[in-house]
Amino acid sequence: MLFVAVDIGGTFTDLVGFDDSNSALYSAKRLTTPDNLVRGVLNCVDRSGLPMVDITQLIHGSTVAINTLIERKGAPTALLVTKGTRDVYAIGRGNRPDAYNLFFARPKPLVPRRHIHEVDERMLAGGIVRTVINPQEIVAIARQARADGCQAIAVCFLHSYANTAHEQSAAEALRHELPGAYVSASHEIMREYREYERISTTVVNAYIGPTVSGYVGRLEAGLQEHGFVGELSIMQSNGGVMSPAVAFKRPVMMMESGPVGGIIASAEIARTLGYSNVISFDMGGTTAKASLVRDSAPAMAEGYYVGGYASGDPVMIPVVDVVEIGTGGGSIAWIDEVGALKVGPRSAGSAPGPICYGLGGTQPTITDANVVLGRLGAEEFLGGEMRLDAAAAEQGIATTIGEPLGLDTATAARAIVEIAVAKMSLAVRQVSVEKGYDPRDFALVASGGAGPLHAAMIARDLRIPKVIIPWFPSHFSAMGMLMADERHDAVRTYPVALERLDFSDLGRVVEELERDLRSMCRGDAPAIQIQLDLRYIGQEFSLSVPTPRERIVNADRTGIRAAFDAMHQQRYAHSADDEPVEIINVRLIAAARRAKPAMPKPANVKSAPRTRMVVMSPGPAVSCKVIDRASLAAGMVIKGPALIQEYGSTTVVFPKDTCTVAATGELILSIDAEG
Amino acid sequence: MLDPVTLEVIRNTLPAIANEMAADLQRTSYNMMIYEVCDFCTTLTDAKGRLISQNVGGVSHFVADLGVIIEDIVQREGPDGFSPEDVFITNHQRVAGQHLNNVVIYMPFMHKGRLLGFAMTRAHWIDVGGSSTGLGAGAFVLDPWFEGLQIDQLRIYEAGKLNKTLHAMIRDNIRYPEASLGDMRAQIASCRMAIKRLEELVERYTPEVVEEAIATIFAETEKRCRNIVNAIPDGVYEASALYDDDSVKMDEPIQIHARVTVAGGDMTIDLSGCSQQRVGGVNSRTLAGARVAYKALTEPEAAVNEGSFSALKTIIPEGNVMMAKYPAPMGGWSMIVPTVVDTIFRALAPAIPDRIPAAHHGLLGGSIVFIGKDPKTGGNFVLQSLEGGGWGGRPHEDGESAAVSVCQGNVKNSPIESMEIKTPVVVEERSLRVDSGAPGRFRGGLGVDVRVRNLVEGKWNLARPRRRKCPPWGLWNGNSGGGAEYLMRVAGNNDFESMDQVMRPVPKDTEVIIRTGGGGGWGRPFDREPEAVLNDVREGLVSVRKAREDYGVAIDAVAMRIDENETSVLRAARV
Repeated sequence: MLFVAVDIGGTFTDLVGFDDSNSALYSAKRLTTPDNLVRGVLNCVDRSGLPMVDITQLIHGSTVAINTLIERKGAPTALLVTKGTRDVYAIGRGNRPDAYNLFFARPKPLVPRRHIHEVDERMLAGGIVRTVINPQEIVAIARQARADGCQAIAVCFLHSYANTAHEQSAAEALRHELPGAYVSASHEIMREYREYERISTTVVNAYIGPTVSGYVGRLEAGLQEHGFVGELSIMQSNGGVMSPAVAFKRPVMMMESGPVGGIIASAEIARTLGYSNVISFDMGGTTAKASLVRDSAPAMAEGYYVGGYASGDPVMIPVVDVVEIGTGGGSIAWIDEVGALKVGPRSAGSAPGPICYGLGGTQPTITDANVVLGRLGAEEFLGGEMRLDAAAAEQGIATTIGEPLGLDTATAARAIVEIAVAKMSLAVRQVSVEKGYDPRDFALVASGGAGPLHAAMIARDLRIPKVIIPWFPSHFSAMGMLMADERHDAVRTYPVALERLDFSDLGRVVEELERDLRSMCRGDAPAIQIQLDLRYIGQEFSLSVPTPRERIVNADRTGIRAAFDAMHQQRYAHSADDEPVEIINVRLIAAARRAKPAMPKPANVKSAPRTRMVVMSPGPAVSCKVIDRASLAAGMVIKGPALIQEYGSTTVVFPKDTCTVAATGELILSIDAEG
Repeated sequence: MLDPVTLEVIRNTLPAIANEMAADLQRTSYNMMIYEVCDFCTTLTDAKGRLISQNVGGVSHFVADLGVIIEDIVQREGPDGFSPEDVFITNHQRVAGQHLNNVVIYMPFMHKGRLLGFAMTRAHWIDVGGSSTGLGAGAFVLDPWFEGLQIDQLRIYEAGKLNKTLHAMIRDNIRYPEASLGDMRAQIASCRMAIKRLEELVERYTPEVVEEAIATIFAETEKRCRNIVNAIPDGVYEASALYDDDSVKMDEPIQIHARVTVAGGDMTIDLSGCSQQRVGGVNSRTLAGARVAYKALTEPEAAVNEGSFSALKTIIPEGNVMMAKYPAPMGGWSMIVPTVVDTIFRALAPAIPDRIPAAHHGLLGGSIVFIGKDPKTGGNFVLQSLEGGGWGGRPHEDGESAAVSVCQGNVKNSPIESMEIKTPVVVEERSLRVDSGAPGRFRGGLGVDVRVRNLVEGKWNLARPRRRKCPPWGLWNGNSGGGAEYLMRVAGNNDFESMDQVMRPVPKDTEVIIRTGGGGGWGRPFDREPEAVLNDVREGLVSVRKAREDYGVAIDAVAMRIDENETSVLRAARV
């Protein structure tokens, strides 16, 4: 069987393939073709040399959903809401996250007010019908929407999470009346309370619907045209894949499919190496991302805003929790007006790029600092395909940073790297320590072009004992897509005090959700995980407590509440064992496991050992081994100082650290706490 | 000298600790004033009460306001009077200077027997007895005893041991002890967590290095603020406004006057011209008016610390409405502050015309408060939400609609579905009010109408509509906004009646409208692009009639087109 994953990123389209008949891994990289993404995918497969007809499974992640939204290039969309709530979408929550900003801006509505239609229908809490919907009214609105040129229609009525009847009836009438339009009703995406966030989610889904479903359709057709007969899967923000049929209906689920791949790969690779708790760390050219994996499952975000919290569109879907900061290889080092050294968030990007690229960049970047320190080989960048100008980098750091601060050039370069590391450590802290997890219990999986360069320093900062450098760190997102399971989420707002909970009724809700999920899954029967969102009565925020089915079958009130108390204690360091508890949501996760590629054995290709002068710690440069990763064999132990180079990435092994090559080829760094 | 890396690490870590405290407190709290309204702050101070860091977002009028509490306790206990695991509680207006619902909980941070600082939280409890239920007692209470339970800098834990007497005393004198004591637990946990983080920091870098870094951060922050103020032309700038009344003496508006002096990098905000302390509870002890304005003008996005205000001198004499002497009533302590902030901006408008918006609705929200007993559960409930209003037009764009005041930041309204799940009410409508944004070349933002029906009998607690005697002003010939109001239609009646500060028992099926005001306009309305007016009409934000009257733009409502000829006639007639 041949598995192939293609990940479209901002700059590159990456491919990783795995053939399980001979355990061979393949990779390819092509520039992304924004005007025709489908062609970019086909080009990349072509470049890999893998015959399209042999591909059994093709998994695809793309920025199409997020770009359509952020660039505001979606379809003209209409919105149907309950009478009295026309302006809920514009009013939002009334908040101003930037408290002192007099020029704050709310998210720009995707639907103008004139395309928002009130429907004379109403449910009360619990889904009790107060005003019955009249389908004739929907027909009239549909005609108006057509006259307005709307190609997509979102429907979100109050309390539809509890009773879907009115939304169903409206969606049916709309689909009948407007056969060409893209219709999306909120209950088809998420059945969770909070109308503004649900409206926004449904609007986003509808707005990107025509573009994204069109893209998925063209991709399917394009692949088939080129001989593809395998199964196509689409990567989702929740860390799983979905069928194209589900993607047509819930394109919003693709929103963050890119960064998620690397996290899935981190979880999976660490699991096979015997680590179930890891922090995934990815550092590329412009940003660094951190996320937490506990018990081999990525942590999910507690709220998600496309385009940032301050003025982004809220989207109520499960998204893997990623903390992203503007620190990447291209981040610029500068001195602020009062003389403090800063790194980022401005980035030299790929054009003009760092000074050492020689493409016109004049401001020193993290990459320049690493070249000055000798950690990046000027002659050996991208396998020697690109020569770096070390002298120019040195000059740039000396004049813009070193001299003003009275530091010699090497010290200035080290300060730049260390400040960048400090910022990235804070991002790692945010996903671990700040969520109540001690990083000492975790391993750090480092990826991205610049991840392996800095990982050991971050680990030392946070007392993380082990760092794992996987195969193909610079193709890691595609690698992760290869390893993702099929996953679907369902939620139902179900408010009831635990004391008064009717377990047989809860059982019925679970069954219903389970039926929905099974209908979306292909292939094998999925494993179902049940979570109850619980809180002390009076609280608003809840914790999602994994709840084994037996607890529901056996009406185990005590067990459910004990699990919640324990989780509250773990997360917030206090609990209230004698206070009443209530359920607010029921969540189900269906995961259908897919075949995973096994990693190949290390190649152990002969290559000449060499040395280079590298600044590792305060003080002068030291002579340092430079090793090609392809030359490593399983079980080898490399004592620092050493550099391990491969295409697109360099791993730094610091003087007191050691690197062991795993049987499956990953590099495992043991970090000396004192360094 | 401190190395730049250590400095940067400490600079990033200190605000991160305060933010982590805030996130934990918010997520575990039991009352919407904390989890939605974010009516709290989390703070680290040094041993003298100087502000090291404070959470971002939240309610801006809490900016840097806890230092006085530390100065007071250190004076009282002496620098050696603290033990690790002491937990203090206070809401006493003698020093804290706000309404009694704002309960401050804090712990000393000791390292090897030495006092290094404090971790502090201030949070709005849903009830502290007296007449404090919900949003607080408001201005019509006449003294602090009437308002609620007063706690003056007491140890709720002494060296880790719970003071059971005090705990019982508090529990028995507040109405929703489960909720408030739950919030107290969350506040304490948040302080404990911060102290753990601070320990990690000083273990790693030593207290001396951390203290040196903090001093450097203060100095750098001050310097950056000075540079920004230095770019404002030197001069003395003044403006005045009125706030309707203090809820007791109805015919005597509260004078608001700001005199801002800019001299190089120094700014002085002199509020001596504001009213003396009042009989009604609009009093406070707060620098928030000056500080919120200064922060917005200097470094709105940067983390706040003591250095953020070192180059600002604020003058408020004792006995002023914002520096009132105990026991002046303070139940409505923050009501006037947004107007004070706007008045400072108004003073500076001629100096920095490009950076000053017209006045915003200026109220701490249209407040929804309904109290009752749910026949289904037998439990008492309090329905609460704060609704935003319009912001003033800005030098290059319209004001935002339906947003909370300048003194509130990340304050959220309650979702309709959440209100209806938790309490027996139906929210019939939450909508923008057509024509409520004041005309201007850049229009003011719109206010809202929220109409709520109670499905069981209970008590509506409606505030007084304000900003009538001095509605939110326009700038540069823009019109003024406003129009906040509370309306009620008791079950069985046909019409809505305007309400004025009522706490009224009503039968079920009574409806209430909470109406918030619009923002002022910026620039002459007749200078507004006709296309922009047409778009507002198309979007239903401005009526055809108002387009004509206020903007001189004639619109054919059927074709949705501008009548160019008539528009030029209309506009020519009003030069």
